[in-house]
Amino acid sequence: MAVNWAQVLFNSAVTGSLYLLGATGLTLTYGLSQFPNFAHAEFITLGAFIGYFMAGPLGLGFPAGLAIAFLAVGLVGAAAYRGIFQPLAKRGASIIHLMVASIAISFILRYSIGAAWSWKPLYFTSNWPSLQLGPVRIVGLWLWLIGVAIGLALLLHFVLTRTKIGKAIRGTASNPTLALASGIQTERITIMTWFIGAGLAAVAGIFRGADTQVWPMTGWDIILPLFAVAVLGGIGNFYGSIVAAFIIGLAENLGVVVLLQLHLSTEYRPAIAFLIIIITLIFRPRGLAMLFRRA
Amino acid sequence: MADPLIYLLDLVVFVGIYGILSVSLNLEFGFAGIANFGKVAFFLVGAYVYAILSALGVPFYVCLIAAAAAAALVGFLVSLPTLKLREDYLAIVVLTTGEILRQIVKSEKAIANGVWGIAVSPAIPTLGMPARVSSLVNIGLVFGCLLVCFLVAQRLANSPYGRVIRALREDEVAAEALGKNRAKYRAQVLALGSAMTAIAGGLYAQYIQFIDPYMFMPLITFTVWIMVLIGGPGNNWGALLGAALVLTFDRGANIIKDRVQNLPIDPGNLQYILYGILILLVLFFRPQGLLRESRLRTRALEKVGRGRDTAQGQRS
Repeated sequence: MAVNWAQVLFNSAVTGSLYLLGATGLTLTYGLSQFPNFAHAEFITLGAFIGYFMAGPLGLGFPAGLAIAFLAVGLVGAAAYRGIFQPLAKRGASIIHLMVASIAISFILRYSIGAAWSWKPLYFTSNWPSLQLGPVRIVGLWLWLIGVAIGLALLLHFVLTRTKIGKAIRGTASNPTLALASGIQTERITIMTWFIGAGLAAVAGIFRGADTQVWPMTGWDIILPLFAVAVLGGIGNFYGSIVAAFIIGLAENLGVVVLLQLHLSTEYRPAIAFLIIIITLIFRPRGLAMLFRRA
Repeated sequence: MADPLIYLLDLVVFVGIYGILSVSLNLEFGFAGIANFGKVAFFLVGAYVYAILSALGVPFYVCLIAAAAAAALVGFLVSLPTLKLREDYLAIVVLTTGEILRQIVKSEKAIANGVWGIAVSPAIPTLGMPARVSSLVNIGLVFGCLLVCFLVAQRLANSPYGRVIRALREDEVAAEALGKNRAKYRAQVLALGSAMTAIAGGLYAQYIQFIDPYMFMPLITFTVWIMVLIGGPGNNWGALLGAALVLTFDRGANIIKDRVQNLPIDPGNLQYILYGILILLVLFFRPQGLLRESRLRTRALEKVGRGRDTAQGQRS
């Protein structure tokens, strides 16, 4: 079977962009608040639903859907931290309790979504133009995805390195006590990070939903590769997660080629991310973080 | 259901099966502080090993023992990459292991008929007997296994070993300074907990008499966590109480679903929303659960007569 390598590479860029959007919030909140937020999957799902209704039935168009979903889910993320995780942590909850709380929120959100919109998958109706560039088939949505991911990554890079807020976020992530002592309002910074992270998850959710389907498990379907990105990139490390997202995007698309060649089910795709998690934890538990000391 | 007694007996069987699960999670989480977010993975291993072996005509007790051994091995292997890391890494790895294992049994027709599932013969054939009798036989079998698991967990909790794993949970640095190897204890506890979980899986498979991959969703893991958190982590009686409470609530919700028409919200969804809220309430207002962590009981402490207020690690 001939493999269309150019297409594989392009698909890898698409997958990597999606994972970058989805994992940035996961890894940043994980790094700042010191626990993995499993409800991140539901932030993605919620974004997909809000985007679907804004862009489709309400007819506001795709860009407006992206913006509204970003703001709405960002608020949900900030509220989840401010209303639940922060008070729990102040009461001395252990990391396990925080993880359990995130799963509880995950259930509340997922089944509320299921109750509000039913479990039947919804599909974005918009027809994306597709073009053929040599051997590569390109769908308009994918170009959007790559563009938005790169744009937001650049924006976030600018914010993190050039603005006071960004420097405060980095300071808080690397040493919360010192940051607090230097007059940074670490709690406010953490809430802001949760807002940005959840908003980015919503953007990822819209693209994932438009590419596949919108249903209460949209986020959970890709939570495994997102954790792989966070672990491989080094927990809390934004620059590490950029590299990791594209590595995992490439690994998954190459992996699918290998699975096809071996006549195995392509449903094993998540196993590739799983293997990456295991290998990273065995050989380099801090992920690629060492490559990016600055962050 | 036609016979209400059968309904009740069925509930009792489930309390037994989930009781084993919650006792095992209590051992892992309550006593050793291990965040096993992948209970369903080991439950699945138990059910599938049982189903495959019993289809080959192996006697049921051998099937159960093999299921336990297989899951213990899986638990040990899964724990290896994360033993020396922080709690959250193990949580992520076991959670994702469950997803991958379900994918494997779903995709590989050769294992147990893939998505179509496979029929499992009951451990003790009760063909031709009334349904009540077969329920009672199952209750005997399940509660026999539960008793064994419970006694093992209870003995362990009050043994020197139990004190070590509690100490590692409370303060790993202090415990390691005393020469206790955290990684070793964690691997052992996870292997033992997984073995118990697999026994529950085998019992479940033979009771339902059918398994397919969709019966092993992460929901099961979460349900068992609710049981332990409500009942009281670190207390084996609490784990049993939690299992009974949650399952009774679950049945109640099912009865309402069947009887009441035109509910504004689908009870299937509502039930899990309520579970989520319940967990948050427990975490906020009663993190120690309904029953407090069981006090340490040793012969020496009883002799000294100070067993009530010494050597007791308070939960943080």
